[in-house]
Amino acid sequence: MILVVAEQRDGAINKASLEAVVAAQQVGDAVKAVLLGGDLEPAAAELARARVEAVLTVSDPALAAYTADGHVIALEQVIAAESPELVILPHTYQTRDFAPALATRLGRPIVTDCVGLGRQGSTVTFTRPMFQGKVLADVVIEADPPWLATVQVGAFKAEALEQGSSPVPIVPVKVEIADGAIRQRPEAPFREARQAVDLTRADRIVAVGRGIKGEEHLEIARGLASALGAELAASRPICDNGWLPMDRQIGSSGQTVAPKLYVALGISGAIQHVVGMKGAKVIVAVNKDPEAPIFEISDYGIVGDLFDVVPAIIKELSA
Amino acid sequence: MERESLDVDVLIVGGGPAGLAAAIRIAQLQSERGGEPLSIAVLEKAREPGAHILSGAVLDPSSLGELLPDFVERGAPLAAEVRRDSVYFLTSRRRLRFPVTPPPLRNHGHYIVSLSRLVRWLTGQAEAAGVDVFAGFAGAELLFDGNRVVGVRTGDRGVGRHGEHKPAFEPGVDVRAPVTLLCDGVRGNLTKQLLARLPLEGRLPQVYALGFKELWDLPAGRVGAGTVVHTLGYPLRPEEFGGGFIYALPDNRIALGLVVGLDYRDPHFDPHAAFQRLKQHPMVAGLIEGGQLVKYGAKALPEGGWYTIPTPYADGVLIAGDAGGFLNSLRLKGIHLAIKTGMLAGETAFEAVRAGDASAGRLAAYRQRLDESTVRRELYPVRNVHQAFASGLATGLAYAGVALLTRGWWFRDPWPGEAGHERLVKRADYYGSDPPPEDASANAVKPDRLTTFDRLTNVHYSGTRHEEDQPSHLIVHDTDICRTRCIREYGNPCTRYCPAQVYEMVDDGQGGKRLQINASNCVHCRTCDIMDPYQIVDWVPPEGGGGPQYEGM
Amino acid sequence: MQIAVCIKQVVTREAQLRIDKGHAWIRDQDASYEMNEPDAYALEEALGLRERHGGDVVACSAGPARVGQLLREALARGADRAIHVEGDELGRADALTVAGALAGPLRSAGVDLVLTGLQSDDQGFGQVGVILAELLGLPYATIIMDVEVSDGSVRVKRELENGWFQWVTLPLPALLTIQSGINQLRYATLKGIMAAKKKEIRKVAPPARPETRQRITGLRVPERAKQTHFLEGTPAAAAQELVRRLREDARVLTED
Repeated sequence: MILVVAEQRDGAINKASLEAVVAAQQVGDAVKAVLLGGDLEPAAAELARARVEAVLTVSDPALAAYTADGHVIALEQVIAAESPELVILPHTYQTRDFAPALATRLGRPIVTDCVGLGRQGSTVTFTRPMFQGKVLADVVIEADPPWLATVQVGAFKAEALEQGSSPVPIVPVKVEIADGAIRQRPEAPFREARQAVDLTRADRIVAVGRGIKGEEHLEIARGLASALGAELAASRPICDNGWLPMDRQIGSSGQTVAPKLYVALGISGAIQHVVGMKGAKVIVAVNKDPEAPIFEISDYGIVGDLFDVVPAIIKELSA
Repeated sequence: MERESLDVDVLIVGGGPAGLAAAIRIAQLQSERGGEPLSIAVLEKAREPGAHILSGAVLDPSSLGELLPDFVERGAPLAAEVRRDSVYFLTSRRRLRFPVTPPPLRNHGHYIVSLSRLVRWLTGQAEAAGVDVFAGFAGAELLFDGNRVVGVRTGDRGVGRHGEHKPAFEPGVDVRAPVTLLCDGVRGNLTKQLLARLPLEGRLPQVYALGFKELWDLPAGRVGAGTVVHTLGYPLRPEEFGGGFIYALPDNRIALGLVVGLDYRDPHFDPHAAFQRLKQHPMVAGLIEGGQLVKYGAKALPEGGWYTIPTPYADGVLIAGDAGGFLNSLRLKGIHLAIKTGMLAGETAFEAVRAGDASAGRLAAYRQRLDESTVRRELYPVRNVHQAFASGLATGLAYAGVALLTRGWWFRDPWPGEAGHERLVKRADYYGSDPPPEDASANAVKPDRLTTFDRLTNVHYSGTRHEEDQPSHLIVHDTDICRTRCIREYGNPCTRYCPAQVYEMVDDGQGGKRLQINASNCVHCRTCDIMDPYQIVDWVPPEGGGGPQYEGM
Repeated sequence: MQIAVCIKQVVTREAQLRIDKGHAWIRDQDASYEMNEPDAYALEEALGLRERHGGDVVACSAGPARVGQLLREALARGADRAIHVEGDELGRADALTVAGALAGPLRSAGVDLVLTGLQSDDQGFGQVGVILAELLGLPYATIIMDVEVSDGSVRVKRELENGWFQWVTLPLPALLTIQSGINQLRYATLKGIMAAKKKEIRKVAPPARPETRQRITGLRVPERAKQTHFLEGTPAAAAQELVRRLREDARVLTED
């Protein structure tokens, strides 16, 4: 049985947790999900629609606000009771905060940030990136089950979630959390205006290169970014000219990104730029030069003048 | 923030073979002769010893053996002993082997080495002997007391691209010493400052070449380790000095390169394109096909020989290694001379410090040591060879042959020579009424990105990295010249001779062009400082630590 | 305050990576190394805390002999002393093994605070800090952007997804994993480098490897199986086809 530790905030399951269920469904038939927190009903109901055996809810005042200690103590007990072969968690900030401690308390290693899971008989192989995505490693765990792994956000598609024919049982589970066992005292989370844009977290990026020809033409790229719900980025020369700030630069001397969609406008594809974005899932390139190296790594290419093509795309998107 | 100050007994600028040999020699003398322990400091601009240095290279181990007789036992990284030596003359399609390898190019008993690895190892030897090697510190300015050199000021760190001080800003440190050894390499910036201030220049102006080098991993069995090949002819024309090299290392790796004299006449000649053409020659193309480029680099070499060597000392200062032009361009070797001159400078410095006198009078003993050593014995007989090549390949070869027999004697001695950049001919004079477009390369090659590459891709393979937010370290004193005069007269040759695409002429938005400097591509080769026809380019070290990463080069 | 900082030596970011013959690691002969960037910020944070609260900073690292260079750099930047858990395989071991190696000397070190970077630029497990906290029995918090020390406790700002943050208070002694960019890295000065030579680097033998561990069975450079679809025709036609494909085939236009 595979146990998926799902994450919720204010009653909603996050997409990454659904992706974790998808990952579990790919390597096993018997999947259970577990939720921790205070009021878990709405979140549990959502999970119960998936093709899983059951949704376990661990509801306790001590778990109402997330703490690392609370999660470790509770999950250690759940795992002892359920004896899963595999425990899968989404590689979110919250999971990173407690999962290694949980694994250590169980005396096991944990394989984090997996982009693939494969089953060969009784072995599971975990595939994870290393060296900032330049290399992929296949890993096996040398220990008895339970095996623990976290899956990279976006590596599995939530759309691929197998739905069940009818909602599965929601099973409340009791855990013992001793007084004073939780050492962290959290305050309420708050939002802060980000100082610098973090392109590494953008799902979609529109990047401009020399082909944009002038600072005044950036509007056209901004328009496309807006229509796509994307962040604006650039290759080196644009930032060197000061047309966009350095924190928008993608490449070996800027950021390395792997968004779902990367649209390269007027970018030739010099290796210094490519190393910063070739991990993107879908790459679209628009360039006048049919031999531009960017086309070698693109999924979709349009050879043409971006000043004609981009407005056409914007128009098509709003149709 | 206050400027730090540090006092040492001997200051050495440059952690290459000359500087490290000097440091080790001083430490040895210290240990032999006892007395008050000397503080020896080496300043090296690279973040890591060996990161900024490269050479072909075939090492004559004689001076290494003098410095450290047990260098083999100490684990000196000698990649392969030379087993086979050959010289070819290339035409665009064919190759003609020289039936006999000319004596200067015979490498029996020599080793193919990675100079970068050798320097890493030498640094370890120096540090084990108590020398302080400060990596990531560039020598920015000589410190003078009158005309006496009293030390070096290192570069400021933490300066933004518009000159503003960033939060981590630190002013450069004044490192003071009674004697400073300048081992700052070819066209060293501190040596350049010294020669500008004091009348030390050699009899003839220094002449340089630009060397390109790539490391390739090849499919097994193509060439045996220890094979040394030198080429003449294609892709260079008779009016262009230089030649190619292929050195076979263990594990199916080769060093492949082209050396091009920085005294060519055609303003549209493109040295990087010439290197790509060498790789397209059937002999080379067949060798590297299916292989993988591992690393790329480029650096200038001082080729002028004996008469271009400056007076290598003044009050408080000595010059050794490539900074002084101690390179044998006929044998294509300079590492052993760097080590030897470093040792002699070290010995001179040691005595001066012990005697409490580092005046020019005392330091003149360095010149005497040089004159009585293998340095003069080797360089003097070939003193006119490079200048003879300026009259063409055939003349040069003929003279070289004669020089071997007459031990350098010739009717005109010195054979006259001029600075390389002065030989560059204007477009109108070279091409007459129909010059190529200003931005064209005469010998352009379309890269296939498998064996031939564009500059930008090559720079990626040099591992070059600089702090982005810093002022440009290529100082062009009057960029108006670039867009008004140079563009017409020479077609902005910097856009062609820079191996790293630092210089580009871009649209200025008003119908004309302006110079764009991509400083962070710079591989520190010094070609722009050397070749600029108007001599308005000063290469100064960027913020310490930045530059190429020449692992294995 | 007694502060310990765990730092890792990693291959430089520019390194051209090639897989070694056994497909179990990269070819690292000639490789250049540097301090893992988040760890550099952790070290800087430790030095800043020492400046504000007094005390002692010890830099620790687990790895082969070459790690000595890294510790010298930490000492040159201002750490007071260093601990080197030396083992050839520790440079590429899994997080549980590394944390176990570091836990030994830290257990008896009497530290108030242990700082690590949030993850390493090479293996990127993001685990060593948290595992170390668990082995040492310390409360911990991760991906920290700000640290406020009071008497017997520390209040820290955790970074969460999407621009959210959270302050958490922990009793001391505690362990924190530090996010890059939390402060300004200082340079190692010449005087710092010279002083570093006189500072202690204590060598410690690693413990036996844990029985349970992860093993890399294969390493490869991801190749894009790329079939570039060129969209032809007028800009309008190409745009239409592109949007259709992105929406229906690639499915990258759906909202989060």
